Amino acid sequence: MISGAERRYAAVSGGLVGAVALVILVLALIVGTAEGVQYTLDSLAYGSLFAVMALGLALLFNVMGLMNFAYGELIMAGAYVMYFTRSWGWLGMMLMTILIVTILSLLMELIAFRPVRNASPAVLLVTSFAVSYAIQQLAWTDVFGLAHRFDSTIGTGIQKGVEPYPWLTTQFNVGGVLISRLEIATWIVTAVLLLGLTLLLKKTTLGIQLRASTEDFRMAQLTGVRANWVIASAFAITGVLAGAVSILYILRTGAVAPDIGQGPLFVAFVGGVIGGLGSLSGAALGGFVLGAIINALSATLPITLKSHTQLFAFLIVIGILVFVPNGLVSVRASAFSRVWRRVRRIAPAEEPT
Amino acid sequence: MTSVLQRVESAARVVWPPLALCAFLVVTWALVDGFGGVVYKDTAVRLFLTLIVVLGLQMFSGNSGVLSFGHIAFMAIGAYVSALLTIPPDIKKFTYLSMPSWLGYWILPAKLSPLEATLAGGGFAMLFALITAPAIVRLAGVEAGIGTLAILVIVYVFDVQTSAITRGTSTQIGVPQTTTFVMVLVWALIFVGVAFVFKQSRRGLRLRASRENWRAARSVGVRVPIERAIAWVLSGFVVGVAGALYGHYFVTFGPDDFYFNQGFNIVLLSIAMLVVGGMSSVTGAVAGCYFITVIYEAFRRWEVNGLDGVRPPSGTANFILAAILLATLILRPSGISAGQELPWPGDWSLRPFRRAARRIGLGGAQDSVAAESSR
Repeated sequence: MISGAERRYAAVSGGLVGAVALVILVLALIVGTAEGVQYTLDSLAYGSLFAVMALGLALLFNVMGLMNFAYGELIMAGAYVMYFTRSWGWLGMMLMTILIVTILSLLMELIAFRPVRNASPAVLLVTSFAVSYAIQQLAWTDVFGLAHRFDSTIGTGIQKGVEPYPWLTTQFNVGGVLISRLEIATWIVTAVLLLGLTLLLKKTTLGIQLRASTEDFRMAQLTGVRANWVIASAFAITGVLAGAVSILYILRTGAVAPDIGQGPLFVAFVGGVIGGLGSLSGAALGGFVLGAIINALSATLPITLKSHTQLFAFLIVIGILVFVPNGLVSVRASAFSRVWRRVRRIAPAEEPT
Repeated sequence: MTSVLQRVESAARVVWPPLALCAFLVVTWALVDGFGGVVYKDTAVRLFLTLIVVLGLQMFSGNSGVLSFGHIAFMAIGAYVSALLTIPPDIKKFTYLSMPSWLGYWILPAKLSPLEATLAGGGFAMLFALITAPAIVRLAGVEAGIGTLAILVIVYVFDVQTSAITRGTSTQIGVPQTTTFVMVLVWALIFVGVAFVFKQSRRGLRLRASRENWRAARSVGVRVPIERAIAWVLSGFVVGVAGALYGHYFVTFGPDDFYFNQGFNIVLLSIAMLVVGGMSSVTGAVAGCYFITVIYEAFRRWEVNGLDGVRPPSGTANFILAAILLATLILRPSGISAGQELPWPGDWSLRPFRRAARRIGLGGAQDSVAAESSR
């Protein structure tokens, strides 16, 4: 998003999103029209959740080289906040969730990641394991005694629910296709978050500092960008994103448990890598594509192979990694820019990486 | 002119680290076997089993610098293959009713000895490593980590869903318990030696060079993918053997033993041990394994039995382990061993400890000034 190359990425990723949607649509049309549109819409909603998550992961990865496994715990924490504030009405619940998840994200940075900031990626990774594990244990053990204050069983049982709002999850029929308000909300929130983040990165001083830090952290520091400030705000942004994802995700599934963050984290993480963690738009696209692939596979595979969905999804992942090791976006962009140059008859100046 | 004594010393310096580590393992075994009860023996066997896994991981990740989440897949393969080949045929006939005939023809009548089965388990894991190597060695950085993770997921889903061959999520029945304490010790000793020889060998050196600087290594003619593939296959064998031993020790095992589950599972634990110990040395692998196992066991026992009648809430041990892990990484970011092998006794000095003490505010400035000026 910083140079001409990045601008091309943005254009191309937009095109790719369209292409993927088209492929899913075609795939689904084979299955049947109404059903097909249904699958497509479901996959879009499911994929956009992971796009937002992958975006948060990619931001931290670019700024400080951190693969944050503790990101799933932010979503878990969001789920618990929602559970405790479920009687406050939807607006109070959502604001509180986002606020607390963001504070937790900042605390994580302050306590755990700041002291090891300059360590190798492996050390950062294991640090994030430890953070993730510690938070999960807090949820299992009920150290704060939250359970006794609110409800005698939460935190010690396996699964607790946030009751879905009927007006949000009731599906209504549009020409044979079932849509819920939640699905529409998911698309809108995703679009708003992506747009908001883009504006933040492009138009504000903080955004410029963040982009400079993702390009070359040391150089940015030399030109006067304050490391503590930039990294803390990156964590705050991921906190807000995680808060939003946890709201959408929990309203969808309703389940609250200490290990709830692991599943979505896993998909977003792998998706981010196949899209290319090195660029934000790439990661978001990757998360979206993987979410959509998993949803589409589980909908279209024949019954006998359905239980092997993940196996096929990860074979595709290996394939993508091996043939497009730098992520979906970069190779598309270079192919695109090659064509573009030929059209415009511009001599190749530099190869975008 | 070098005297005989000097020549002996320089030879001894070379073999010192693995011998000292092996001696350390043997002492552990002797102490636990001589004085410890059943519980301690069980803990020690688990320690050695994990150690073999971490050693395998060290051979690949430590030397190549590429993190791997996928080695536990080799462990699963080793365990399943070895179990299938040793369960008495009479039992297999009833527990594997739907096994495809072309496989059943070979597997159902098979009855191998423990050693043969362990080698077969390691061999099959190695074969699987050979098949997956072309994909993995092409990747670097995070992509490689995700590639190995994908392999883990694929093997796990296969184990769970192909119940004709693996019994799915149900545990195995009739696996003979043949893994003994001594056997685990001997394998651990062998693999400490193998890991050390591999690290010091020509191939190990090339691989380490590619870890330090990929481009520079290539420019002097190191074929990085081939070197990585060799480490990948070799470590596949080591971890496969660990899996086979694991299967014949715990007897009832299922796919979840070899996957990400909630808590500190073997996948994350083995990586954490390696990184906390110091990835690039065999000493680090051993140190990290001992460090985490001992701390975890100590606090877990406190949690279960209590001390002076005071019992902490359940889960405290896990939380403390996570906190200590964090503290260790903050204090020693490159691991307990700092990536170095065990130093020769003549080179020992207290300076690193003083420096660490100063860092956390102990020891005081005077000590360190005295230490610096006395040199």
